[in-house]
Amino acid sequence: MVEPLLLFDALLGLAIAALAVAVLTVHDRFAMIVLFIVFGLMSALAWVRLSAPDVALAEAAIGTGLTGALLLTTLHHIRAAPAAPVPVPGGVVVANLGLCALIFGGLAFAFLLTPLQAPGLAPAVAQNMAASGVGHPVTAVLLNFRAYDTLMEVVVLLAAIVAVWMVERGTVQAPAPVLGEIYRGFSRLALPAIVVIGSYLLWVGAQAPGGAFQGGAVLAAVGLLLLLGRLYRPQPAHRPFARAGFVLGTAVFAGVALLVAGGGRLPFEYPAAHAKTLILLIEGMVTISIAVTLAALFHGREPEAVPVSEKSE
Amino acid sequence: MTELPTIDWPTAVVFAPLAGAILAFAWPRRAAALGLASVLVTAGAVAALALQVLAEGAVLTRLGNWGAPLGIDLRADGLSTVLLAMTVGVGAFVSLGALDSYAPARADDRTRRYFWPLWLLLLTGLNGAFLSTDVFNLYVMLEVIALAAVGLTVLGGGRAAVRAGLDYMYASILGALLFLMGVGFVYLELGRLDFAGLIAAEPAPALTAALALMIAGLLLKTALFPLHFWLPGAHANATAPASALLSGLVVKVSLYVFLRLTQYMPLPDELLVTLIGALGAGAILWGGIQALRAERLKLLVAWSTVVQIGLIFVAFARAGQVGLAESWKAVALLILAHAVAKAGMFLAAGRIKDEVGHDRIADLDRSPIRPTLAQFTFALAAISLIGLPPSLGFAGKWVLMEGAMAAGYWHWVGVTMIGTLFSVAYFSRVLASFLRFDRMRSPVAEHQGWALADAAPLILALSALGLGLAAAPILAFMEIGYPFGATP
Repeated sequence: MVEPLLLFDALLGLAIAALAVAVLTVHDRFAMIVLFIVFGLMSALAWVRLSAPDVALAEAAIGTGLTGALLLTTLHHIRAAPAAPVPVPGGVVVANLGLCALIFGGLAFAFLLTPLQAPGLAPAVAQNMAASGVGHPVTAVLLNFRAYDTLMEVVVLLAAIVAVWMVERGTVQAPAPVLGEIYRGFSRLALPAIVVIGSYLLWVGAQAPGGAFQGGAVLAAVGLLLLLGRLYRPQPAHRPFARAGFVLGTAVFAGVALLVAGGGRLPFEYPAAHAKTLILLIEGMVTISIAVTLAALFHGREPEAVPVSEKSE
Repeated sequence: MTELPTIDWPTAVVFAPLAGAILAFAWPRRAAALGLASVLVTAGAVAALALQVLAEGAVLTRLGNWGAPLGIDLRADGLSTVLLAMTVGVGAFVSLGALDSYAPARADDRTRRYFWPLWLLLLTGLNGAFLSTDVFNLYVMLEVIALAAVGLTVLGGGRAAVRAGLDYMYASILGALLFLMGVGFVYLELGRLDFAGLIAAEPAPALTAALALMIAGLLLKTALFPLHFWLPGAHANATAPASALLSGLVVKVSLYVFLRLTQYMPLPDELLVTLIGALGAGAILWGGIQALRAERLKLLVAWSTVVQIGLIFVAFARAGQVGLAESWKAVALLILAHAVAKAGMFLAAGRIKDEVGHDRIADLDRSPIRPTLAQFTFALAAISLIGLPPSLGFAGKWVLMEGAMAAGYWHWVGVTMIGTLFSVAYFSRVLASFLRFDRMRSPVAEHQGWALADAAPLILALSALGLGLAAAPILAFMEIGYPFGATP
């Protein structure tokens, strides 16, 4: 039964390459974003075929769903000024093509010359799974063996929202698109389902593909629906809660990492008996932070009490 | 692990600024106090770490007690510790300068509130990168640094700063992605990501590809000519303390990673070393010409960073491939010298701009307001950047030229001389306008513009000058733990 799957893979690869070309060549910006979303979904499918369901979930939820929403809302903000495409001289195009082909050729050459039997760290991970406190190797790597990297990735997200809140956009707040009754009905149906799916992804991450980043991205969709449907309007008075939500994951993660140390244990060295509890605690808090942060990134600005121009100096 | 110290200093060095960032962001009203306290605590942790390194040699922390390659280790050897001390030392004085620059009279509330969390997140990333022993972890740290640095670039700035910040972000993200692809090739070949694996590796096509990708990414991030296009705008349009951090510290981290990787990974051949030196020479010439043409003081200082980065890469290439094992000393000294002097210079330029009201070089000598202490600070920093004795810049250039002469590479000596001449020329433009009084329309203002705020840049500039006398002990300290010899 290899043949049909091989054919499927070949078609999938071709489709991804064709979509990439289409994203780059199409001129209409809306069409470009839609093509990009399709491209992301196809990539998620490719990750499934590469036996990396965790990456596929992340690609679908963050790389496609949330990024697509961000791109569409950005398009809404910049709709006023459609830039005329600047003509590029043919020589530049040819030179760029040549250079890219050269780099691609070099990298492909290096890739093909490398024997693929290197076992990597998989045996070491398998050997230490029992001590990790969770049953899913990806979660064990992310939350235990290389928890420090994951903590810093959460810090990256914190830095992103701090930077976005800092950038002033002047007084004009672009009006959100008006969504009708049908949309509200839909969100009433969809919201509970999304909450259940997001929480399930978080919980199941200990044993199977899923986890904080995927669960958080799905839960962020709740925030998106609330914002789009005007069911929730960000108020200046809510800023302390939002800030608490942004830092919660980082603070709890770092706090647990430091508090387990002492008595002969090192930072990030969870006591074996409590490893699963601690990992779930961290994942839960990180999920909340990711969901709040991604929704706030979609909103894109700090809720301001007074218009910037009238602010007392 | 025979015995554990009560506090693990490498961890403390990374987590203290992170805690400060969280607190400063969560309590904006107390941001300045919390931020400054956190910087001082971090400085204390670095000092304790330095004492530990001095007493015991390199300090290793196995996070989670897994041990590399499964887990991630933090390692502080002499070089790491010196760079940590540089970061936190420069950072502490810039923080003091920021108290004045973002005072209620000069900056709005938002700028003041957001500077501290961004700067402390940046400090977290910088410290983490200097302690990292794992290429993927380095990538994550570079991401933390990049986002915080972009935030600082646009902080409190106008449209030009946002524009420059966007350019910087594109360059930075592209550099990070190239680096990440290189990390992928490392894992493909070795099946592990820690430095020890890199050191033990045999040359292979995948490692060559990895090195090429990572070097390309790092050169973009560190703004080596001709990939410097984003730097002058970003560093010239930011507010003065942010410029000091960006120019003094942020570009240094990719230089440091470059230094580690080129020592640990098998370099293909002499050609690459020469190419990097040639790009450095290009930076010295092009940056020098642009600095001569710059109309604004901060832009001139930003172009001088491009020149100095070029000089550091010339120092890297000075003795050819056989001399790489020694080149790192000259590189490290020049990194240190530039960080301290440039941070002082940017703060001084900011003070001059604040007092005079503008920073157009051509009109500086018309101004009846002469912020003399800031001007004096600027001159002191220029002495170190030009490389006059006894400054740290002189020590670095001395080691550079000594190595180049010993290897018989007179062209690198020539390039360094030309760079020095350029530095004298473009800094003289500014210094001459400080000293000319004949074009003023009104008598010199009675208030000479001395303020407590001049203390931070002045101490930085004096340190750049005085640390040259301590170059020998600094070099000896950097060799603790044999950064590029025997490995753990």
